[in-house]
Amino acid sequence: MIKFIPFVWRNLMRNPLRSMLTGGAIMLALAMVCVLRTAPEGFDRFLDNLAKNSRISIHNTAGIVYGMPYAYLARIKAVPGVVGAVSWSWFGGAVDRDKGVTFPNFAVDADAIGVVFEDLGIEPAAIEHFRSHRDGALVGRMTMQRQGWKPGDEITLVGMVYPVDLSFRISGEIPAEQDPRFWFHRTYLEEALRAQGIPSDQVGMIWARIDQAELVPGVMKQIDDMFRNSEAETESETEKSFFQNFFSLLQGFIVVFLIVSWLVAGCIVFIAANTASMAVRERMRELAVLKAIGFRWRLLFTTLLGEAALLATVAGALGALLSLALTRALATQAAMTPTMGPLAGFVVTNWMLVEALFLAFFIGILSGVVPSFGGARRSVATTLREVF
Amino acid sequence: MIELRNVSRFYRRGADDVHALENVSLEIPAGRFVALMGPSGSGKTTLLNMLAGLDRPSDGQISVAGRKLNDLSEDELAAFRAGHMGFVFQFFNLIPVFSARENVELPLLLTRLEKAERRQRAETALRIVGLAGRASHMPAQLSGGEQQRVAIARAIVTDPEIVVGDEPTGDLDAKNAEEVLGLLRTLKREFGKTVVIATHDPRAERYVDEVLLVDKGVFMGSRPGATGASPVSGTAR
Amino acid sequence: MALPLGYPLRNLVHRRLRTGLTVAVIALVVIATTLFLGLVSSMRRTLATTGSPDNLIVLRKGSDNDGSSAVPLEAHQALRFFDGVGKSAAGEPLASPELVVQPFFKTEAGGRENVLVRGVEPIALAVHEEVRIAEGRMFEPAQGEAVVGRGVASRYRGAQLGRDLRFGRRSWKIVGVLDSDGSSFESEVWVDVRDLAADAKRTIPYSGLRLKLAPGADRDALIRRIEADSRWTLGAKPETEYYAKQAESANVFYVLVVGLAVLAGFGAAFGATNTMYSAVQARIAEIGTLRALGFSRGSVMQAFLIESIGLAALGLVVGVAIAVPLAVAVSQALGGIAFGLSTFSTSVITLRVSPFDIAIAAFLALAVGVGGGLAPAWRAANLRPVEALRKG
Repeated sequence: MIKFIPFVWRNLMRNPLRSMLTGGAIMLALAMVCVLRTAPEGFDRFLDNLAKNSRISIHNTAGIVYGMPYAYLARIKAVPGVVGAVSWSWFGGAVDRDKGVTFPNFAVDADAIGVVFEDLGIEPAAIEHFRSHRDGALVGRMTMQRQGWKPGDEITLVGMVYPVDLSFRISGEIPAEQDPRFWFHRTYLEEALRAQGIPSDQVGMIWARIDQAELVPGVMKQIDDMFRNSEAETESETEKSFFQNFFSLLQGFIVVFLIVSWLVAGCIVFIAANTASMAVRERMRELAVLKAIGFRWRLLFTTLLGEAALLATVAGALGALLSLALTRALATQAAMTPTMGPLAGFVVTNWMLVEALFLAFFIGILSGVVPSFGGARRSVATTLREVF
Repeated sequence: MIELRNVSRFYRRGADDVHALENVSLEIPAGRFVALMGPSGSGKTTLLNMLAGLDRPSDGQISVAGRKLNDLSEDELAAFRAGHMGFVFQFFNLIPVFSARENVELPLLLTRLEKAERRQRAETALRIVGLAGRASHMPAQLSGGEQQRVAIARAIVTDPEIVVGDEPTGDLDAKNAEEVLGLLRTLKREFGKTVVIATHDPRAERYVDEVLLVDKGVFMGSRPGATGASPVSGTAR
Repeated sequence: MALPLGYPLRNLVHRRLRTGLTVAVIALVVIATTLFLGLVSSMRRTLATTGSPDNLIVLRKGSDNDGSSAVPLEAHQALRFFDGVGKSAAGEPLASPELVVQPFFKTEAGGRENVLVRGVEPIALAVHEEVRIAEGRMFEPAQGEAVVGRGVASRYRGAQLGRDLRFGRRSWKIVGVLDSDGSSFESEVWVDVRDLAADAKRTIPYSGLRLKLAPGADRDALIRRIEADSRWTLGAKPETEYYAKQAESANVFYVLVVGLAVLAGFGAAFGATNTMYSAVQARIAEIGTLRALGFSRGSVMQAFLIESIGLAALGLVVGVAIAVPLAVAVSQALGGIAFGLSTFSTSVITLRVSPFDIAIAAFLALAVGVGGGLAPAWRAANLRPVEALRKG
């Protein structure tokens, strides 16, 4: 079989322009498919990771902006099955006032943060530093890297929502690749606001970790029942459900993208098939000669198919590489948008690259099958008759 | 070596039924150089295709080198051709992306021979046709006559018993045509091959042992060629 | 001697498979680019055309978002009488105090999204000139009534005219639908500011103010005066500037969409060129014959040009005929394309393909059709007849 590879390659190079045009089209289409997959896949991976833990979020049914009384936290902690609970309040500070908020930052309850977010794998030393320093801050890896911070650095956030500027000491990193979050002490914010005469007894969200996964639905119900018919009714949901809801609004985009990418993919198969059939038609006589000499139709079929598959796979490889470059550009741009969070990944994983190669190969085979079959199967005599 | 019994071939072209061959019976003994001649559309090419195992008869029986071709499947026919026949066509013989040597090696790819052996045999074949010096040239760099000679080299590289040619001189000028015909005669004389060509080149008569006449799909009989061998028998009905 | 018009046109009809394939490829190019361009222009239209240069938005200093700001009652009462603030026909200052809250709404599809609810006083309609009540009427103060933007009505459950919409802690009766030429106000719900403040339990009732400038007023002077006032810490800027900044958050999507449109366009263009190229290759012998007969190179090229343009035109027509209804259908099915990252609320974008988008796609189709077919035709026409016949 190997001895036929030069044959297949030379045939591809017979009409370099045609091969390049077809290859170019396949390359671009595959780059597109790869790029389009990254955001949803990154998001799915993120959600799958979340599904494994037993963390729930509690917020006001009316909306997060409606807030809940801080007093709820103690009552939630008391619910059986709750291992720990912390409150989160959006601070919305910025490193540079002109650039605005570039990563999400929250005031949290420092004492239980390590317990509730145990699965994040924050270094115990960092958690300890955070707990023992009022001005400590735990920062997600993505933000750490983008801002060029290290543990021990002193930084200031300008208040864009509240009229206070706060200074912090970085305690440590939240070691997740796509994590942009910035956490600091709720008490620290409270003090600063009190100095300005601004009350702060409301929280935006409460996160609680439940002992065992099976207890989760029961606990959620219990919490919501506890606050029903009060001033701030609550809605509890799993962390996965929370993020799903948060990003559900981008569904529309994804649909449009999917439609267009399918269209383009279909277009590409057309083109590749056309190229393959042109190539076969041009070589009808050669094929007849080869068959006369004694080459079996199955062998000829394989070489013709191999031509289409080789072209498509090489083009696919180039397309996959191109997608790497594109996603890098996208990720940089996305970094400027603080609320994109897990969607800002745009990461092309190795697995995706492999899949792209397979897809390209498959397109090659699919587009080449019919013309190759027709070309190889054609009887020598028929060909000779029509041609000579 | 080659035997046809009551062979007919018809097929549809568009809306018509074409009777390319009607009830042809003939024999070609081994070691003969034979020309199938007749006007354009006479069926000589179809006849050639039949005995070369390139096409199947609608009716009748064909035996070549002791094998009944009718009984063979497509794959078996291909294998048969690979083992027993060599082919030369009027044009587009050679694969343009391969050099002369690589073209000649082509049939050897179907064998189990090692690369070195294949190369050696190809070069031998090229030497026989007088083109040893042009082995690395691409077809586009060879003249029409040289291309045909490379095709002949390819036709003999597996040392088949039979060499078949469809208008081998059709696209050549006088000098090259004579060279090619001479070469084909050499194959018969020095290598004992059975050579059958379909042609309407009148020059061919001077080189062949016998001329078989075909007209309107019917075998009209034979006459000796200029080399004066005894005629082969063949009856029209 | 020119070839008759019949030659190129009959070729289009006669070689159905080739025509069909090429038209299909060009149509796909057209559909892909118009949908993507339509998405981009729809986004731009919604996010970037909101606001008037004659309006100022006043928020707490440093706030970049009217959903996260607070302006005291007294500030409103003072600012509305500042020089430069316009007055309505009835002599009322065109100063609109507003409260922005983002409660959860449920989409028809069952998703949960933040929607921007703006508590306003009736003067808001005069300040926001582009906003009109298209159906029904404006709400009456303190009646728990609401008017919804077009985008909201089409996307969320229970948000249609005449229905009772539940958000926040209570139910609201929808009495009108507002329209604003596709700008982001159509993604909002307007209610009485006092009703909203009570429901959201806001002690400082306003998030911000919108001031309409009096004709000929010095905008910069007014801004300086507001910002310098030591009674409060406020910032003021023209509305258009404010919304333009918000639109920046969509940059990553612009980059993505434009990038993909370019990829799609190029990819399919390559393919269409390829198809046209091979179609001409197949007819090299024919071209050689024509040339041998005596037709000039120019006449052969012209015939091919007509054929190419014909194919491009067919592809364009088919493509547009599919893309436009497809855009509408997708938009309907999804209840608009939702988008929203910076304001913590959702902008509903109606996917509409504009004539400009179609013009660009047409240009691309023509470029692909003509470019792809012309180069090989030129080559063929310039071969000597004998060679062309032999190659065929």
